[in-house]
Formats: sequence, structure tokens, C-alpha cells
Amino acid sequence: MKKEKKGKWNKYLVAGLLMTGLAVVLGIVGFFWTPYSTTAMSAAEKFNPPSLRHIFGTDNFGRDIFSRVMQGCSTTILISTLVVLVSGTAGILLGAITGYFGGILDEIVMRITDAVNGFPSILLTLVIISLLGTGKQNVIISLSIVFIPSYVRIVRSEFIRLRDADYIKRARLMGVSRVRILFVHILPNIFSVFWVSVMIGFNNAILAESGMSYLGIGVQPPDASLGKMLSDAQGYLQSAPWYALAPGLTIVWIVLGFSLFSEGIRRSQDDKN
Amino acid sequence: MKYFGKKLFTLIMTLFLVSVAAFLAFQIIPGDVVTSILGTEATPEREEQLREELGLNKPPVVRYFSWVGDVLKGDLGVSYRYSKNMNEMMPVKELVGDKLPVTLWLAAVSLVFIIVVSIPLGVLWARSASRATDKLGHFLDAALGVITQTTMAIPSFFLGILVTYLFGILFKFFTPGGYISYKEDFWGFLGYLLFPALSIALPKIAMTARFLRNSMLTELKSDYVRTAYSKGCTRRRVLYGHVLRNAMMPVVTFLGMIVAEIVAGSIVIEQVFGLPGIGRLLISSISTRDFPVVEILILYITFVVIFVYFLVDILYRIIDPRISEK
Amino acid sequence: MIRIENLSVAFDGTEVVKNVSLELKEGEILGVVGESGSGKSVTALTLMGLVSETARLTSGRILFEDVVLREAGKPLDKELYRKYRGDYMSMVFQEPMTSLNPTQRVGRQVEEVLKLHTGLQKEEIKARVLETFEAVGLRNAEKVYGSYPHELSGGMRQRVMIAMAIILHPDLVVADEPTTALDVTIQNQIVELLRDINTKEQNAMLFITHDLNLARRICNRVVVMKDGCVVEQGDTEEIFQHPKQEYTRRLIEAVPSRMKKRVSVMERPAAGGGAESNGMSGTGSEQNSGSANRTVLEVRDLSVFYRDGGNSLFSAKKKHCVVEGADFEIYRGESLGLVGESGCGKTSLSKAILGMNKDITGEVVHHTTRPQMIFQDPYSSLNPTKTIGWLLQEPMRAACALDKSLSMTKADMEAAAYDMLHRVGMEDKYFDRKPSQLSGGQRQRVSIGQALIMHPGFLVADEPVSALDVTIQAQIMELMQKLQQEMKLSYLFISHDINVVYHMCDRIMVMKDGKIIETGETEEIFRNPKMDYTKLLLCNS
Repeated sequence: MKKEKKGKWNKYLVAGLLMTGLAVVLGIVGFFWTPYSTTAMSAAEKFNPPSLRHIFGTDNFGRDIFSRVMQGCSTTILISTLVVLVSGTAGILLGAITGYFGGILDEIVMRITDAVNGFPSILLTLVIISLLGTGKQNVIISLSIVFIPSYVRIVRSEFIRLRDADYIKRARLMGVSRVRILFVHILPNIFSVFWVSVMIGFNNAILAESGMSYLGIGVQPPDASLGKMLSDAQGYLQSAPWYALAPGLTIVWIVLGFSLFSEGIRRSQDDKN
Repeated sequence: MKYFGKKLFTLIMTLFLVSVAAFLAFQIIPGDVVTSILGTEATPEREEQLREELGLNKPPVVRYFSWVGDVLKGDLGVSYRYSKNMNEMMPVKELVGDKLPVTLWLAAVSLVFIIVVSIPLGVLWARSASRATDKLGHFLDAALGVITQTTMAIPSFFLGILVTYLFGILFKFFTPGGYISYKEDFWGFLGYLLFPALSIALPKIAMTARFLRNSMLTELKSDYVRTAYSKGCTRRRVLYGHVLRNAMMPVVTFLGMIVAEIVAGSIVIEQVFGLPGIGRLLISSISTRDFPVVEILILYITFVVIFVYFLVDILYRIIDPRISEK
Repeated sequence: MIRIENLSVAFDGTEVVKNVSLELKEGEILGVVGESGSGKSVTALTLMGLVSETARLTSGRILFEDVVLREAGKPLDKELYRKYRGDYMSMVFQEPMTSLNPTQRVGRQVEEVLKLHTGLQKEEIKARVLETFEAVGLRNAEKVYGSYPHELSGGMRQRVMIAMAIILHPDLVVADEPTTALDVTIQNQIVELLRDINTKEQNAMLFITHDLNLARRICNRVVVMKDGCVVEQGDTEEIFQHPKQEYTRRLIEAVPSRMKKRVSVMERPAAGGGAESNGMSGTGSEQNSGSANRTVLEVRDLSVFYRDGGNSLFSAKKKHCVVEGADFEIYRGESLGLVGESGCGKTSLSKAILGMNKDITGEVVHHTTRPQMIFQDPYSSLNPTKTIGWLLQEPMRAACALDKSLSMTKADMEAAAYDMLHRVGMEDKYFDRKPSQLSGGQRQRVSIGQALIMHPGFLVADEPVSALDVTIQAQIMELMQKLQQEMKLSYLFISHDINVVYHMCDRIMVMKDGKIIETGETEEIFRNPKMDYTKLLLCNS
């Protein structure tokens, strides 16, 4: 068997970092500047195939697809970052407390978490969206709520595993305070597992956001969105396949980047142990 | 048996809670629906009459039970948006009725795809991955790893578009948008379904095969495998006689979750392929805020998902001797 | 009959077995003893052709009578091995729990051997299996036949494994730590069974163990291994009485035996009371008079309960009594041994004493502050994300947070941590390392240091040396005794190994099924045990 490279870096991590890094840079630049205006329409430039001038070609209104993809990236990355931040933080707090202390609160939170986890996440998102209405803000709110349980479950099970670890029992015997045990003794030990789920969380958020936008119940114009672009492009599949391929492949690129990233983290941890 | 009863009780309790949640979400929170049906220019008398008709002037608890009673009797309420003709409102039941078979068939075909492809693929994969010294095995393992990882990264709607482009436009295996109703030509209908089902199934096949591979590799490391070899078993016998069954146990649970995801996937895929199923109805009802329809569909999908979990749980107990005892 | 000649096995280019040669004759039991990492298991697995595919034979060959089973430079002949395994040679493994397929009835698993190697009919096969089950002492063979592994006890599972190994009367049986995972009383039965089989069948048996006492009891000849090499081999008694090599001598000496006795530092509540050499005890908090200041712990009529019943929504939890009416005290400087088999309630009792289990009745009175605990597994005793220095200082930080009058500067804490590091016999350089960079013995040293840094006076040690190799075990026991004298410590020393307890303790309590059935001075209990169970424990080890 070939020896895997020891230590922190492996090829999954590098590939994942490069792929997501490129997308993030594209998104951040796209937030401030795009090569062409994304709103200016031009009948003369309609359905230009990819060329040096327009590397992803132009759409049915003659807009530069690359510029729109950049803006779409920035929307997607902004939304998924906020969703992961909100649901991850809530997940850590709820998971830590329920996992470590157990009791009634744990019972209640777990029932809810189990129920929500069992369902396809799109269903609950749809319920919340149908009540709140569409739009960027509501997408963030609904996805944040929907993704909390997955973090709670992971954090909680890690806290349950570690609260009975010998070194935690000993910390209690030493008289270390509860808060310190939770956040200084246990928390650093779960980060390795938590980072993997954060990466998966990014993926789920990106897939959910673009899916909702594709269905027309997510981000609404004038906000740019990769999913919305895809649904617009679907009608011109025969005449302008690049119109659909550009946003679609961009989504695949980002998602694949994050999965490689999470795989990389997992492997580097396996090597360490 | 006691376990079965307990599970059944949990099933019913969950359904009850979901129905309460759905009732609260769609009938209490949104407020008065009368104006949304009649518009702002209706007379107060007409509004009052409709309120009476829909039973909106009773207290919530009464409304809940009468609603549940109606649903159990088969009366699913009326749509706010669709109407049969000028004077008669569209019953949800009729709206849902002929869309249901489309979704169910789509899910069934997808599931068949997944099971038929992913299990042999997973076994083959595990076999090649477990041959550490074999060059071909090593290559196959790596190649399948890349392929499945990429497949899992494709969102289902984009996959649907790719399938449409590839099989519909380039190879002309089917006409995009040329849906054939099951009432007219059942086999034509199934033929058309193959492509949306493929779009749902591909990522799930990748996931399941990966899961089975990992499960088998874990089992291959366990002590009883060494025992089997020490008896003089061949590699083949160890794999199929001992490892496969143990490795399949977690896969059964995994497939249960996959079924839930197929249902979710069909909501999106129906949109891509223009299938008149309940997923498409759900999306359009959400966009038009047609709450009675959304409510029934959510309840229905929930029921299907819970029921599948219930079945998987029972099935698991039957095939795993370790828990059937307790 | 079986010859291993100059065998070397390498994983990824590093040799784990080096130039090993041994020979096995019919009717003999050859013991291979050594500490973990000595290459004894790899040797056995290579002999059986079961070592993982990544291992390479770099030299030597294996002969079964005149047939060359394996030779360096030639690939493994899988067909040949398949014919031999199960029929001419078989193996019994350490973990009876996981060595059987969990989803197949054990009868079928044993039958498979016959199906693979004989052309017998279905009925004959079953008859043979039942017959063998009875031969290995499985009563109610028919019932066992139809059972799944999880329905059998550990001892029964190991009997099934043995039945599987001997059903075709092989010439060679390899037993890899066959009793390590079992309780002492069961251990003894299995050892007897293996010996009987050997006498009856006159087969050759390769018995691999880390337990020198066990090897001495069962083996005709012994091979001592270290770091992949054979250190010494010869007749068992010859080796044990006149070891020629330094390592063998060290190994034998490290085994706690009843020959050696420790110096006691205990202060007994002597009739006269009188002058007491106080001072070393760092807590200094117990200024009571009379015998109380000699007692560090009083346990009065303590019962411990355990609740189970998974789903609290549907079924009320059942209450089990795991410790019943424990009543004893521990004196300053004393080591009290607590022995018993797994599941007898030792750990529950220790947890209750330290307040980690609240579901109790009775009384626990401590006369020291913050008693500490040392656990069995050195790998889970230290927080893997912290450095050794941080870990040693944490008890001081916790104490300062609890008691504001205690003022310790950073430098004080660091100095105390370095001091403790030296006291547990470790060098400065370990201060900034993480636990993962330490060996098992070193981790246990740090655990002890961490427990003692606030001078607790009383320490519960739950199997503190059970997970360690014998030579390391001896070092840790020596360290614990040294610290006990220096710091006037009292230990509650829990162990399943009665010899370790003999070596460490002044008094012994024997526990069975949640009850303390016998208490007394160590010598007294060993010389004349009163209870039958104690006798059983003593003669089985």
C-alpha cells in the first residue's frame, strides 16, 4: 500500500482549499466589481457562445454570463456563510448544554431534533418559506432554522461521549467549574468532528439555496442567483446549452470543493490518530 | 410484539403532533383567509357567508378536530386558488388525486434504480478496495471514489437539466417536456419517467454504494472475518457468506433515509421535467399561498416518510438477530 | 512436527519479527510470552497464514511436517493454506465477543468447518457438531447449536471457538491469548479445557500469552520474545527458575508474586493512640482529635443503585442495587485492596465514594479534601488537546477559582508542575508535549502527578496498572509506593489481579455480586481465606 502523507496536508485538503478558495475569491470580487454590467441588455450580443470576450458566453438578453455567475457566487456564499454561522453557533450551544447536562431540556430538544432530522430538510424549508414568503432574508432565516438540528445532534453526541471520558471525570474531581469543563476541556476536543460537519453544512446550504432559487421560491431578482439562472436557462437548452452549463457547473465546483475539504479534514485526523 | 405496539404508538403520536403543527402553521398563523379568496372588494355579507361555510368562526380547537375528522373521512377541504367553475370551489382531493400516481411511480422507479445499481456496485467497490496489493483494485477504488464524489456534488435539478440535454436533446431518447399521461399510455408514461428517475437516483446510487463499501470494509476488519479464514474459507465465501449480511444491516437504515430523500428529490425533479405530480403542485401552491393544498401535501408527505421509517425499523428487527431478542 | 526457521516479517519495511526459529512437537504445549509489541501475535498469525497482506516475509520458512507452507521470496500459496487451515491447523482468538459472526447461529459457524473440509451428510455434520460441543463442556448442546453469539456468555463463546478449532482434530492448535478477555474463574476453566484437549488429542499447541503465571502453569516449554526477537527458550521450569538472559530475569521479577512484600507506611489506630507523626500531609485540614484524624474515609452501610430502562417516556426505569451495604474505613497511609470479578460492583462503589454516583443510600465521610482518582486506561485519562504542563497546572487553577483566598501566581503553578513532573520520574522536556506523544506508562505517571498535585491525601486507583505491560506495571507500582511514603497517602486500590493487590495492599476486601464478603489483613486473607469464593479467586491465579 502506498503510504499516505502524514500530517496536516493531504491532496484532498489541498484540492478542496483551491476549489473553494477560487469560488470565494470570485464571489467577493463579484460583490464589488464584474467585468460587464449584469443588468445592461444588448440585443446584438444575444446568445453569444463562450469566447475570449465573454468566457461563459451571453444569455437571452445579451448579458455576460460570467459576470452574472460571479454575482451568483457572491449571493450563494454570503447566504451559506450566514446560515452556517447562525445554525452552527446555535448548534454548539444547544448541543453542549443538552449533551452535557441531559435531563428534561435534552429530552425535549432531542425529540424535536429527531423529528426534524428525519425529514427531508427541503420540506420544513418549504413550510417556513410558505409562511414567511420568498427573498434573500427569508431564505437565510428558514435555512438557519432547518440546519440547527443537524449540528445539535453531532455536538450533543460528542458531548455525551466526552462527558464520561476519564479525563473529564477527573476534571470534575479536581473541582473545575462546569462552564470551564464545557468550553475549555470538552469543546476543543470536538472541533475536529465539528469542522467536518461545518463543511457539509456549507454544501447543504448551497444546494438548498440554489434549489429554492431554481424553484422560484428562494432569492428573488434583482438579487443574482445561480439557481435562478439555471431555471431561466432551461428554456434555451437547445440553442444555448452554455447558459445552463455555466451556473450548473459552478455549483458543482463549489460543492465538490467543500466535500473534498471535509474529506481532507477527516483524513488528516485519521492520520493523526 | 410489544416493541411493535410501542412503535405504532410513536407513529400515531408523531402524526398527531405534525397535524397540530400543520394546523397551527397554515390555519391559525396566516389569519383570516376570506379576503384572500374573495379579494378586497367583496361585500361584508358575502364574507360572513364564506366564513360560515368554511367554519372559520368557531374556536381553533373545534376547528382542528373538525378538520381532522374531515381529513379522516376523506374530505380534504377546498383550494383557495383553483376553482371548478364560477360558483364551485375546487376540492383539494380532486386536485391531489390524479397527481399522486405520478409522484409515487417516480419514487418507485427511482428506488428500483438505486437498489439494483448501488448494491452490486458497492460490493464490487469493496472487493477492489480490499485488495490492497492489487493494482487494478487500487485503480478501481480510486476511480469510483472520484466518480461518486463528483456525482454527489451535482444538485438534482442541474442533473435533471444535464439528463435532458444529453438524452433528450443530443440522443433524442425522449422529448423534453413531452410528458405522457399514465391514463393514456402507461408504458409510455413509465418510459418517460425513466429519465427523471435517473436524475433522482444517480446521486443516491453514489451515496449508497459509498456507504456499502465503507460498511463492508469495516466488517472486513472485524475479528470474525479472521476466524472465517482460519476455518479455511475462501475469500469469496468470507465476502458473501459472512461479511455481506453484516454489512447490509446499516445499509437498510440508510436506504430508509434515502426513500425520504427521494420524496424530497421528486419535488424538484418534477419541476425540471414538467411532470404533473404533487411536488409541482406543492411548489405552485406555495408561490400562490394556497394554504389548504400546502397543508394537505405536507401532511401527506410526512405520513409517507414516517411510515417508511416505521417499516424500515420493523424490517431491521427482523433481519438483525441481535436486537430481535431484546 | 512444525518448524519455523529464521522467520522475519516486515510491515512497510520495518521488521516486527526478526529471525525467529521455533519447533513444536506432538503433544506439547509451547508458550510464547512477551510484552506488547514483542511480535508474538504476528508470529502466530504468519504461521497460520492470516497476517495481513501488507506484511512481507523477509527471511525464513515455515514447515508443517515435511511440507513447506511458506518461504521467504515466494508468494503465499492460498490454496495450500486453505486446505491446511481448519483441517490440520486451527486457531483460537482472544476476543470471543467479536470472533464469532454476530448474525449467524453458532451451530452453522462450527458446521462450516466440516462443510469446507469433509464430504459428510447434513445429519452427520450436525451430530458431529453436537458431539464436539459436549466434548468442550457445553451443556445443552442442542440449544447452543441454535443460539446466536450474543445469547451466550463469554466463557461459552470461547468454548464454541474451541469446538470450532478442534472439531477436525487438527495437529496444531494456535491459541492467541485465549483467556485474556475472560474473568479469572472462567479463565481457569478454559485453561483446564485446553490442557485436557492437548492430553487427549496429543496435538501440538502454540500458546501465546502476556501472562507469565499462566504460561508457567500450562506450558511444557516457553519461548520469551522481545522486540521481535527470541530472547530465550527452554523448558518452562528451567526458564522460570534459572533464566539465563537479563531480560527474562527482569520480566519474571516484574510479575507481582506472593514472594515479595512491601513496606507498610500505614498508621493503625493502635490501642495506645499516642504520638502521631503528622506534618507531611499537605492538606492539613483535618485537625480532629481521636481516631478520626487517622481515618481518611468512613463508609457506613453504603448501597449504590443503578437505573435502567431506555425510554423514560414509556417505561419507568428499573432500579438495580449494584452495591449493597458496604461498610468500611480507610486509615491514613494505608492501601486497601478491593478485588472481585468484572461486574461485581467495584467501580460503582468507587464512584459512589467519590460522589460521582448520586443514587446512593448510606453515608460516606471524607476526612481529606478533594480525593482524586486514577483510571485504568492511560489513553483516556488525559485530555488529548492539552499539554502536560497545562494538565498539571489545571488542578491549581481550579482550586484558585474555588477558593479566592488561595493565591498562586503563574510562576508558582509552573514551579509546582515542574516539581511534580520530577516526582513522578519524568524529565522537563515533557512539559510542553501532548499526551499523544507519551507512552502508556508515561501517561499513567502524568495522571498520578495530576491527581497528587493538590496533596489530596486519599486516592482511588481503579485498575491503575491493568492496561500496562508487566515491566511498566512494576515501575508504576513502585512509583505509587514511593509517593505513598513521601506524601502519607491512602489508596483504595481496585484490581482484578489478586497478585498485584497482594503486592500493593495492607488490607484486602473481597467483593462478589455487590457485597463485600470478606475483609482482612492481606497476609491473613492469603494464608487462610474464610469464604469459598475467596479461595476460588486465590487458587485461580
